[in-house]
Amino acid sequence: MALLNSEDWYDIARDTNWTPRYVSEQALFPKELSDVLEMPLELLETFDEPYKVTYRDYVKTQREKDVGAYSVKAALARSQMYENASPGWKALLQMHFGAVSFLEYHSVSAFARMTRFGRAPGMRNMATFGSLDEMRHAQVHLYFAYEYLAKSRTFDWAQKAPRTDNWVIISERHTFDDLEHTRDAISAAIMTNFAFETAFTNLQFIALSADAANCGDFSFSTMLQSIQSDEARHAQIGEPLLKMMIDSGRKAEAQKLIDISFWRCWKQFSALSGTCMDYYTPLDKREGSFKEFMNEWILDQFVAKLEDMGMEKPWYWDLLLEDIEVFHHAQQLGIYLYRPTEWWHPIAGTNPAERAWLEEKYPGWNDTFGQVWDVIIENIRAGRLDSTIPKTLPMLCNMHGLELTGVPGRKWNLKDHTLDYQGRRYHFQSVVDKWIFEQEPERYAGHLSLIDRVAQGIVAPDGVMEHMNMAPEEYGIEGTNYAWVEAYDDALTTRRATGT
Amino acid sequence: MNTATNGLKTWTTLAGGRRRPTEYEVVSYNLHTRTRHPGYAYELSPELFMNRFYREHVGGSVLQHPDWDAFRDPDELIYRQYNVLQDGHEEYVDGLLEEHARNEHDLALDPAWLKGLPRLYTAARYPLHALQMAAAYVVQMAPASTITNCAAFQGADQYRWISRLAYRTRELQVACPDLGFGAERALWEDDPAWQGFRELLEKLLATYDWGEHVIALNVVAKPAFDLCRCRQLARAARDAGDTLTAMLLEAEWRDSERSQRWTQALVALTLQHAPNDAAIATILARWQPLADTAIDAWCAALPGVPEAAAAVKRGLRELQQACGVQPA
Ligand SMILES: [Fe+2]
Ligand SMILES: [Fe+2]
Repeated sequence: MALLNSEDWYDIARDTNWTPRYVSEQALFPKELSDVLEMPLELLETFDEPYKVTYRDYVKTQREKDVGAYSVKAALARSQMYENASPGWKALLQMHFGAVSFLEYHSVSAFARMTRFGRAPGMRNMATFGSLDEMRHAQVHLYFAYEYLAKSRTFDWAQKAPRTDNWVIISERHTFDDLEHTRDAISAAIMTNFAFETAFTNLQFIALSADAANCGDFSFSTMLQSIQSDEARHAQIGEPLLKMMIDSGRKAEAQKLIDISFWRCWKQFSALSGTCMDYYTPLDKREGSFKEFMNEWILDQFVAKLEDMGMEKPWYWDLLLEDIEVFHHAQQLGIYLYRPTEWWHPIAGTNPAERAWLEEKYPGWNDTFGQVWDVIIENIRAGRLDSTIPKTLPMLCNMHGLELTGVPGRKWNLKDHTLDYQGRRYHFQSVVDKWIFEQEPERYAGHLSLIDRVAQGIVAPDGVMEHMNMAPEEYGIEGTNYAWVEAYDDALTTRRATGT
Repeated sequence: MNTATNGLKTWTTLAGGRRRPTEYEVVSYNLHTRTRHPGYAYELSPELFMNRFYREHVGGSVLQHPDWDAFRDPDELIYRQYNVLQDGHEEYVDGLLEEHARNEHDLALDPAWLKGLPRLYTAARYPLHALQMAAAYVVQMAPASTITNCAAFQGADQYRWISRLAYRTRELQVACPDLGFGAERALWEDDPAWQGFRELLEKLLATYDWGEHVIALNVVAKPAFDLCRCRQLARAARDAGDTLTAMLLEAEWRDSERSQRWTQALVALTLQHAPNDAAIATILARWQPLADTAIDAWCAALPGVPEAAAAVKRGLRELQQACGVQPA
């Protein structure tokens, strides 16, 4: 008798659904947790996971992967990579570990919800591995961050962030709690696995990983790629569910879930990855611009995938294409100016050479964002460092939770989209953010942004830093100690000499 | 002004301890963000369904503790060690299967014993899956990351044994095509031997108070189920000359023992908070009778082990006593 192949018994291992007798179906699978759309069970039971892995193979493969990921780390612990890194790369690592580690861990619970409330055994089994994967991602992040902690306390945020009300963390939670954590298992899988993981994790794990390798940060690069190999597997939980929704006449509902999720992810990745790629990564190490990467790896691939499934591009596609030109540039300004409120040490990334690159990649940058940077440069050069830090809090969007920004300069176009709902005024960055709110106001209306908390007297204006759980020694400081403006001394001298 | 660039020895949340934090603590301790605010687990309207759900079932649970994050897994298991551990154990199981297949083990089994295996042995993939789902509920509700992690490993272990059971089901189906291997759903749904466990597990899955759920699962239902199979069925299998079934169940018991270890630690922590004493007693009083009925019904179907039910109940009470609770 020979050993069996996994195909011989795999179907038996996922033949585990039964009809409950001692409690009702509804008690076992409340629709708010399982499937608000109440698709027929016979349909849901046809779930066939595209990426099959057995338990036996899972523990073996993951064991081997970890040997790779952790051994690079051991070699790097001895190197001086961090000490020798540019201030921008340091800022990127500090921000990344604080912003990402807790989200990875948070996702353990999201997959567990699919394991418990999914209606097909195959989905539940793959989500069981999903929970473990996310634990892996959290633990490898924490392990790496702990190495860096000895060099900089900013890495404490890799562990601390989830327990804080820092505005960046609030913004992330508002987004990912919306997509991953507060919906029924099927909607969450469409929004998380299909829209977020399939579409966006490439940005972190391919673009960022390439930049990391260029910078000689091989431990970070290897870690990101290793994580991506798990994402590529568990992200596939979403697709069969999407197909079921389409096949059962629920395409419009599916489209809405995707449209909401894609936009919300876009805002997060734009603010956090966009700034890293176009400002923090050293100029000579950049693989491409954020916009180029978005177009090639995110938009084209995602649209192809959507069309392949018979879905449409999100309705706001033209607005998205406009936003790709500007949003992260505006956020970069805000992040730089409000640096004390961040756990990392932001840099400007706008010396003359970097500006030339930005102008080339984003024509018109100098006439818009560049003008604000000119004022900042002037203030720094004049020693007026205080005037580069705003005294008042920024307006925050009631959807994406980031600063409400527009495009400054000749065509300043900050437009606050407001909505009055049940006696309260809400502010949105764009018609899309407002549209998301309008789809289900009661989901969002009760939430208070940091600014709302101050406006309502819940947080005293001088208690904001404390409310964000930021001790004075944690206030973000300028990552280069303003050294970057020195390049402008030369530029100015040259300009004066040549009379231009 | 660059004073903030100094490093730290450990996470601020672990600073001040008497000893250096272990790697386990560094990557496992105090990681949940959904426990941050008692009013809303999620950063959306406090009145959103899911926020009410966590408020009711975690915040308002029958079990309360001022510091759930004080929980530590006695095995200090982290993800990468879990894979190393289980990869090794799976290799052992591969060896068992290979060796027994080579010796044509199944063909030598007593026909009467074989005939009972779909009911006694392979039908268990359904309750194992119920336990997998129940563990996932603990994963998503537990108010401490150290508890969540233990439950995540436990849930994966359940799927581990479903997989091995599926493997054996197929193998036995090939060896004995007429005995109903692979068609066990009806047995799980209708056979009197299983109805006790079915009732226990269905009611457990529909229990959403996180504290009641974890106690009913790990102090009552899972150990009762595991004792029936991994101890009593394993015994019967040995007596019947079915060494493969016996050895697989004994291997499964090792995972069950890990579950018992963290369960003991969890209950010990829980009992530090005095009011939980009565709460646990109430939970046991509610669930133990269901478990006893399940044990009686299942053991009655086990041939050649007349004392099985008594042995399981004794074993269960010992485990509960080891947890520091008085069995109901
Ligand atoms: Fe992840
Ligand atoms: Fe993921």
